[in-house]
Amino acid sequence: MGLNLVVCIKSVIMKPPEGDIVRSEDLLQLNPYDRPAVETALRLRKIRGGTVTTLSMGPEDSNAALLETLAMGADRGILLCDPAFKGSDTLATSTVLAAGIKKLDSFDLVLFGTRTADSDTGQVGPQTAVALGIPIVTGVHAIEFVDDDLHVERRIDEFIEKYQVLPPAALSVSLRSFEPGDIGLQSIEVAFEKKALENWNIADLGLSSEMTGDAGSPTKVISMSKVKRDRTCELLEGAPAEQVDGLVSRLKESGML
Amino acid sequence: MRSSVRSFCERELRPIAGEIDQEARFPWEVVEKMGRLGYFGIQAPKELGGAEMDSISYSIIIEEISRVCAGIGLCVTVHNSVGLYPLLAFGSDEQKTKWAAPLAQGAKIGAFCLTEPNAGSDARGIESTAVLRGDQFIINANKVFVTNGGVADICLIFVRTGAPGEVSVVVAERGTPGFVVGDLEDLCGMRANPVSSIRLYDCAVPECNLLGRQGDGLKIGLVALDAGRMGIGAQAVGIGQGALEESLRYAKQRRQFGAPIEKHQAIQMMLADMATQVDASRLMVYRAAGLKDKGEPFSQAAAMAKLYASEASCKVTDMAVQIHGGYGYSKAYPVERYYRDARVTRIYEGTSEVHRMVIFRGLLKK
Repeated sequence: MGLNLVVCIKSVIMKPPEGDIVRSEDLLQLNPYDRPAVETALRLRKIRGGTVTTLSMGPEDSNAALLETLAMGADRGILLCDPAFKGSDTLATSTVLAAGIKKLDSFDLVLFGTRTADSDTGQVGPQTAVALGIPIVTGVHAIEFVDDDLHVERRIDEFIEKYQVLPPAALSVSLRSFEPGDIGLQSIEVAFEKKALENWNIADLGLSSEMTGDAGSPTKVISMSKVKRDRTCELLEGAPAEQVDGLVSRLKESGML
Repeated sequence: MRSSVRSFCERELRPIAGEIDQEARFPWEVVEKMGRLGYFGIQAPKELGGAEMDSISYSIIIEEISRVCAGIGLCVTVHNSVGLYPLLAFGSDEQKTKWAAPLAQGAKIGAFCLTEPNAGSDARGIESTAVLRGDQFIINANKVFVTNGGVADICLIFVRTGAPGEVSVVVAERGTPGFVVGDLEDLCGMRANPVSSIRLYDCAVPECNLLGRQGDGLKIGLVALDAGRMGIGAQAVGIGQGALEESLRYAKQRRQFGAPIEKHQAIQMMLADMATQVDASRLMVYRAAGLKDKGEPFSQAAAMAKLYASEASCKVTDMAVQIHGGYGYSKAYPVERYYRDARVTRIYEGTSEVHRMVIFRGLLKK
């Protein structure tokens, strides 16, 4: 029996927003933090056999990121897409993802990136695991099977922690794990030909609109503004030796030396 | 697909594009990776190891490579269109297995040897010959300006096989006795591409190296160049796009008269014209590619796309240099490279003038 591996991915915005966030295809990219998770699933499939399903909640434009995972080698991509999901915070997103995962026939491992490049909370993985009632180890960089047991490693500060995990379980995968290779043109063509993208809406997932989107989100982003860094520039004058003395004394004053 | 190709080119080619241009160095380290990723068999069938993509995808790939490094864009488009495509279109099964497969997999590099010191636009006027002796062709050829010439393993040689005007294509492999690769040309642009002369002195190849039938040469040449034109058009689009992006970036950061130069109307007009011409070129190339994909006649559309895109890329890169001012004329910025690279797109695979002739003849047919 092979493994049923699920990877939750996000299509992220790679440009800093000005005003309202619009998720259009040209601005979206597969979250770079999700790539090692997809790569990990593909490597586990290589060792143990099975299938890799990628799952994403987002607007239709997120299909491109799912197609990219198919080109990387995933077997099936599912977009969880419904107007009722708009405005979901991390909890509502986790509710939707968990419903999508439950709808799959079965799953052994659910993989996540450690965080996203746009909203950067790192909450969706753990919250989805809680919604599914399965354990999660976060920030994992090494995974191996010892007989049928899954052994994973994570690093915290200067320590390495090793865990034994019993599937079904969730892992968030660190950037330190695997660097995915370049995607070949043949794989891209195959991804389009596979026609392995599916679209599930709120009714498919059996959720009600109070649980998702704005209505299902206990947190709201009230505002977002750019951090302004106050910088001042002081030009030191005089002969080079005097300038150096001036610089050293200022660095000492500010406690940097 | 575009984003995958772009991120590959940004990572692998961007850092070395200026250096390989200056050193006139062919970057084997990147080309080998591109071979493994399928860039040398973009439209070849899967059973030969190709990616079997359509022509629009092909155009996008060439455009993206050329946006970063036109010399390598040239290597890829010439290999795919005029190096490999004639073997797919006219080759026997044995020829496909023997030559098209290693070309499609990027294990070998192809070249198209038509131009001679005294013949280019007028292909009928070639003087190289292949004479059948027993079961071998004895080739004597002098080919110049061969794109990929310095690195090509499998060359399509255009030769006379009978009376003047009877042109045929014979395949010759590097390493065959009498096959001599000349010095690299010291060119104005596209310097990362090892353009060289190739000479064959009493070079004997088996009779079965004939592509198609004797006398098919001009037909093969025209079919190959139809496909090739689209590639050169796509390349011109990429060069223009690259120059436009550099200019936009520069116009934001360069300050004159107390403001970034993008605030000055003269610069804005140039940027608007550049973007419009690049976009028009792109649409014309995609239209030709779309017609080819649908199996409809596309020669006229491809000729127009090549003509317009190449002329536009020269204007666009000229404006890019102008926007950069003195720095645009310096090797400290990449636009002078785009400017030099763009120039040849109006010359090779049919000059602008030949394309106008082709387009005019097309008008008469209607």
